[in-house]
Amino acid sequence: MTRHRRLIPLLALALAAWLSPGPVGAQQTERAKKLGKHLICMCGCNQILTACNHVGCTTSTAMLKKLDQVVARNEPDDLTLQSFVQEYGESVMAEPPAKGFNRLAWYIPGFAFAAGLTIVLLVISHWRRRITLATAGPAGEQISPELMARARQQADEETED
Amino acid sequence: MDLFGSFALLLAFVSAAYAVAAGIAAVITRRPLLIKSARNAGMAVCLLVTLGMASLVYLFLTDNFYMAYVVGHSNRDLPTFYKFAALWSGQEGSLLFWSWLLSLYVISVLLAYRGKHPELMPYVGVVLAGVQLFFLTLNNFVASPFKVLGAMGPDGAMRLVAHADGNGLNPLLQYPEMVIHPPMLYSGYTGFTIPFAFALAALLGRYPGEKWIHLTRRWTMIAWCFQSAGILLGAHWAYAVLGWGGYWAWDPVENASLMPWLTGTAFLHSVMMQEKRGMLKVWNVWLVFTTFLLCILGTFLTRSGVVSSVHAFAQSSIGPWFVGFLALILAVCILAFMKNRDYLRSDNQLDAMVSRESSFLFNNLILLVACVAVLSGTLFPVLSEAVQGSRISVGPPFFNKVNIPIGLFLLFLTGVGPLLAWRRTSLDSLRRNFGWPLLGGLAAGAVAYPLGVRDFYALVCVVLSVFVALTISSEFLRGALVIRARAGVNLFSAVGQLTMRNTRRYGGYVVHFGMVLIFVGLSGAAFNQDKQMEMAPGSRMELGPYSLVCQMFTSRPEQNYTAERATIEAFRSGKQTMMLYPERRFYPANEQAGTMVAIYSTLKEDLYVVYAGRSPENNQPVIHAYLNPLVKWIWLGGVIVVLGTGLALLPNRQAVLVVRAAARTVSVGAAPQPVTAPVQSFKSHD
Repeated sequence: MTRHRRLIPLLALALAAWLSPGPVGAQQTERAKKLGKHLICMCGCNQILTACNHVGCTTSTAMLKKLDQVVARNEPDDLTLQSFVQEYGESVMAEPPAKGFNRLAWYIPGFAFAAGLTIVLLVISHWRRRITLATAGPAGEQISPELMARARQQADEETED
Repeated sequence: MDLFGSFALLLAFVSAAYAVAAGIAAVITRRPLLIKSARNAGMAVCLLVTLGMASLVYLFLTDNFYMAYVVGHSNRDLPTFYKFAALWSGQEGSLLFWSWLLSLYVISVLLAYRGKHPELMPYVGVVLAGVQLFFLTLNNFVASPFKVLGAMGPDGAMRLVAHADGNGLNPLLQYPEMVIHPPMLYSGYTGFTIPFAFALAALLGRYPGEKWIHLTRRWTMIAWCFQSAGILLGAHWAYAVLGWGGYWAWDPVENASLMPWLTGTAFLHSVMMQEKRGMLKVWNVWLVFTTFLLCILGTFLTRSGVVSSVHAFAQSSIGPWFVGFLALILAVCILAFMKNRDYLRSDNQLDAMVSRESSFLFNNLILLVACVAVLSGTLFPVLSEAVQGSRISVGPPFFNKVNIPIGLFLLFLTGVGPLLAWRRTSLDSLRRNFGWPLLGGLAAGAVAYPLGVRDFYALVCVVLSVFVALTISSEFLRGALVIRARAGVNLFSAVGQLTMRNTRRYGGYVVHFGMVLIFVGLSGAAFNQDKQMEMAPGSRMELGPYSLVCQMFTSRPEQNYTAERATIEAFRSGKQTMMLYPERRFYPANEQAGTMVAIYSTLKEDLYVVYAGRSPENNQPVIHAYLNPLVKWIWLGGVIVVLGTGLALLPNRQAVLVVRAAARTVSVGAAPQPVTAPVQSFKSHD
């Protein structure tokens, strides 16, 4: 019985080795690593190809193997990546291609910044205009003690932080 | 016990529905009895949801395998510690956990403001009860955790079916941080409901002044602190468990937690404009609304299957419920705003371009742009599929390209903002405040460049980090020197006194300093190295200054899994430094494998070793080692951010002491007048 118990972990490990995917190719060159960072693992995990080692992934091993093979052909980077696009479609690329509709993905943050900046500048100019109008009011008005007290309190509050 | 839990949740649903109905009636009629009744119903929800949670805990602890949820997420050998984590590991349990946390917040608010703010609290109660009602609807009718397993018997009657054992908890979740990370993050998400409820209530009830801001500042900071801690714990978990050498992958679920954090951060800054100058009222209200909407959107993304992620829950039919809820909240917010927008008119105007006010405007702009960039990148694959018919990927390279410059600009503003004066900053003051920090930053860059920091963004990050750290230090130093001169105490004591006199301000600086450390840590990613090779016992791998020598591979059975462990001896410059034990684990209950990374962490770098499995060709063990510089700074920065937030939550010391003195004076019958003046001069912002 004790012997059987000792066998259980070994059997479990054998099962684990059988069930779990093999490790990624151990012979990756620096160029393959660099290009692998531009590709997504197509198992659905949405992770970078060279970073994907999540439990149950069977796709990354094959993709990395192919990457090693293509890199060994010593073709230019864009051709190497293109061979993946041909096989897996555009979703294999880790960033949206800067063409057609997908260019919008790159433009949105810039648009947001430009729009936000415009709004901020408009708000500031609006506020500045209000202060100019306020200071251009009738001259020689006496400041009431209440107003002075309120101004002092406001100044105290505003200089605290 | 399952019936008890179901019944408790059903009663909680009824109570929440009653709290909404009675609350609306109370708002309209202003009858005190109705107000009290609605509040009591709101508090009863907490008790009932707690009973529901307790029932589910009991079912997990007693291995009740009649329950579908227990079967799906636990097994007999699962350590008790992880049986608690199993509660929120699935869709149904995590939604119940969400309701429970929300109910704790709600009862805290209702108790804290019992009998106070009679004009505002009925509205707040209605909004909070409305949000609770939505989640309790899901708990009861869409994703109940109390479903039992049944099968049709030969006589046609349904019978309970018990499994001998459960499927176990996902191996990736069997890690101590996974017991802490989700509660932290959920506390952040649910916590933002409180400022949302107050903002909407103030708008609906046209509650005068900035009172709602004062009331919710601490709640917002608590939620923000939980969210920050949750995000960082999640990053640490990803780093220590997933075994890919990184901590942030711009995964949709990670992004979902970051977005409300960004808008929440913007709110915590811009709120000061409203408190001090009565400005940005519309902006602040919409920032709070947006933060809450992003919390719900994040939950929707995680649970609906709209975006693919390793962290997401299984695809389910829950998505339309969240879409409906999002639409409803948005409609209510827009209607309330349109109806009462004149109430949000600014009291003041901007005096000068170079001022604290304008720095807050730019800080908000940049935080919002970061949020838009993250949101658009996260949803763009869905948009692309809808428009073009084919899905594209938006991965880390896109997010890094867009967000690194934004982050660096924010870091710059972190240093600049606090040193600008309210209203107007003179050129002379600019020179005085920024001269030395700027020189210090540039000097740091000049030192870092020849030392090998050649990556442009990393170099800019070094310059800005030193600049910001020096501006923060100079702020502490300037105040402390004044106190030292006046009170005759030493410098450390003066710094302590200074901090405790205005905890919000100096706590904020501590948070900023924590963020600087985080940025320094992030910049280290530009210099990561890694190597992977097959390693038989006795073989050696060289990585940077380290030599890794494989000693042996062993296997050992544990309570819930079997581990294959590599023993790796690490040498640095020829000296033995550390023994590392990376593991590959196999969990029989769900027949899944997982990794346990071995990390030797120093302030300079992390040696991160993964046992990647065995080579399919020759069955040799494969070791993947990473050298990740400065990662520890991120975790240290996180701790400082949390401590700084805690500090900012404390009341100002001087005010407390003076109030106590006043109380003592009053109790012995003396006139209180002499002590009221100091209270004003050091008064808390709340």
